[in-house]
Amino acid sequence: MDVTDRPGIELTTDDLGFVYPDGTRALANVSLTVAPGSRVAIVGQNGSGKSTLVRHFNGLLRATEGRVLVDGDEVGRRHVADLARMVGISFQNPDRQIFSSRVRSEVAFGPRNAGLRGEALDARVAAALDQVGLSRHADTNPYDLGFSERKLLALASVIAMATPAIVLDEPTTGQDANGVRLIREIVAQLAAAGRTVVAISHDMTFVAQTFERVIVLRGGRVVVDGSVAEAFGEPSWPLLESTFLDPPLAARLGARLGLGSTPTDADFVTAIKGRMNLSHDG
Amino acid sequence: MIAFAVRGWTAPLVVLVVMLALVVWAGVFRRYLPYLAATALLLVSIMLVNTFLYPDATDVLFSVGPFNATGTGLTAASQAALRVLAFATSVALFALTTRTDELVDDLERRGLGRRASFIIQTAIGTVPRLTERAREITESQRSRGLNTEGGLLARVRGLVPLAGPLVLSSLTEVEQRTMALEARAFTAPGKRTVLRAYPDSGAQRALRWLLFLGTIGLVAAELAGLLAWLP
Amino acid sequence: MSIILDDVTYAYAGTSKPVLRGVSLNIEPGKVLGVVGANGAGKSTLCLCAVGIAPVAIGGKMSGQVTVDGTTTAGAAIHELAQRVGVLFQESQTQLVSGAPSVWEEIAFGPRNLSLPHDEVVTRTWAAIDALSLVDIVERDPHRLSGGQAQLVALAAVLALGPRYLVLDEPTSQLDPLGTKLVGRTLARAARETGVGVLIVEHKTDLLAQHCDEVAVISAGTIVAHGPAMEVLGSESLPDWGVAPPAAVSLRRAAGAAGLDWGEAWT
Repeated sequence: MDVTDRPGIELTTDDLGFVYPDGTRALANVSLTVAPGSRVAIVGQNGSGKSTLVRHFNGLLRATEGRVLVDGDEVGRRHVADLARMVGISFQNPDRQIFSSRVRSEVAFGPRNAGLRGEALDARVAAALDQVGLSRHADTNPYDLGFSERKLLALASVIAMATPAIVLDEPTTGQDANGVRLIREIVAQLAAAGRTVVAISHDMTFVAQTFERVIVLRGGRVVVDGSVAEAFGEPSWPLLESTFLDPPLAARLGARLGLGSTPTDADFVTAIKGRMNLSHDG
Repeated sequence: MIAFAVRGWTAPLVVLVVMLALVVWAGVFRRYLPYLAATALLLVSIMLVNTFLYPDATDVLFSVGPFNATGTGLTAASQAALRVLAFATSVALFALTTRTDELVDDLERRGLGRRASFIIQTAIGTVPRLTERAREITESQRSRGLNTEGGLLARVRGLVPLAGPLVLSSLTEVEQRTMALEARAFTAPGKRTVLRAYPDSGAQRALRWLLFLGTIGLVAAELAGLLAWLP
Repeated sequence: MSIILDDVTYAYAGTSKPVLRGVSLNIEPGKVLGVVGANGAGKSTLCLCAVGIAPVAIGGKMSGQVTVDGTTTAGAAIHELAQRVGVLFQESQTQLVSGAPSVWEEIAFGPRNLSLPHDEVVTRTWAAIDALSLVDIVERDPHRLSGGQAQLVALAAVLALGPRYLVLDEPTSQLDPLGTKLVGRTLARAARETGVGVLIVEHKTDLLAQHCDEVAVISAGTIVAHGPAMEVLGSESLPDWGVAPPAAVSLRRAAGAAGLDWGEAWT
């Protein structure tokens, strides 16, 4: 069965803990569920354990305490190459993975490892390049592209694997406004195709606009786990503050005006209009 | 050098004892053991070759098949082994007690020049830098399905995706690193500020001179036949 | 005394198409100048020219001129320019070049190269470490730092040189919100208290809105807008130039687009 036929899968951790060989603890008592086909953002300061957490989903790191489940099955000691067919991870630095002399072959690497060949492979590569807007560069040498384009290339190479779950590690770093918009569209498209999308990000506005749920990590523990409205609503502010995160401006202004939780500009505008309609009728 | 120059038992034995004492005193005995193990093979072959195959020796102790173990051979073997051991121990002592960055720093202070010390330190730093980078690359490629846990063929196929980015990034970085060096005033003239002054007491200096002159003296004495009375 | 780019057109060595065309900008002491633009517009090239690395170290063709405190960069020695203009490039890990075994020595590398007195070296190093809250990692091996840590260390290393000007190419790209705030505050303080002239290239327009005196927008190699920060960042054309406006501006615009007058919304 072609992997693209599968619906999105669930990612779960059950009291997950991780301690590095040298004794430093990176995660403690992390229990969370990423529902199939949902869009979840993981936020927190550098060193809070975000990158460590996601590496458990494809087996790069093995839990030292607790369990990790992918699609209901325990990860245990399954090979990374195996899990990579279920959970794709797109890392921050494209220059730590690009090795082909042509964009096209770079994107083909992942799906080829998953067993795709011939026309099916070409089609998959073309679709991924199209999705990130690099089709016209299919035969270019990756190092003739700028850094932000190489980041898109790295993303395409993971998208091409058509994994039911995909993790994006800081996808908007270094992107300009158009790049960020593209990433938002891609996340929406991936989710529309039923895939589970998890992203690590420092950009709260991007998070509020693009995702459904937010998980905040602090010191290796989950301190907030809720919808975007809950995570950026006033009750959560003390927790956010404790880890030096600011909710988006729209959320702050909305709360100050008594409009409830309005994490995005659109939410804010809707709430204001709602309030005005009420006052006009009243 | 003393161990090798002067014939007989005394010299290598004395040197070895002194070196071992220093090793223990420096507290590096446990880390010294791997060095010892490394010389084991050499020592065994020295013992065997010399004991059994020493030319023109007649004082046979025992025989193993067609090979005769001779007393002369055994003596020569043991002395040679002691020499090698003494030498290896002194090398190990140096390696284990000297921090390269301190050594390089001190040499620079005495006139080595910042370029040479930079090259040495960067060369040494290459391993952790590339190791860290290789780890990141391996993570990315494994996440794309590269099989690193398979048989030989699988591992060979993995060579390009693993080594490729490593080599590529190292090459593309050269220009950036050069610019960064310039930007940190590396090519500014003058002597670099000394960060640490390494205490070099009169006693240490005297000891160094003593050892140096002593070695020359001993070698000269040996060549002149003055030390024939030593066992 | 300032850094003056006067009608600078520049093409990289071996290429014919200029990446910068007719760029004129000043970096004034005590002021923070923000530069924004789409990727590929020439922001990084602008930094290289402002510092003198282009054309002195990497060649290429430049017309117009760049002067640092009156001296033209074209004929100058790079290490002399380095003393006046601290520069931070995008890729942070390649800038930890000293080969030193610890973060502390990495930061001290610059001052040492300048043959400054021992106490001066130590003072400057600790000042930079404190400014960027790096005390906890002074003993660490620079090769084993995370991207964000490396970026902060690289900035500290440049600050320790005590340059009169700072040219920074996306210095917060890998930092978390706290790190970003720290960098913003440090730069603003350097400009305000020690009269350093700062040029900062960033995508984070909120950061620039907070700390910049002026902002310039570069698009396809030319400066298309330049003026007081709030004016430029409030420009309607920002999205056309591939730049996301600050949050306050977007919010106001979204409200306006929905037919809400900003004043009305406050009832």
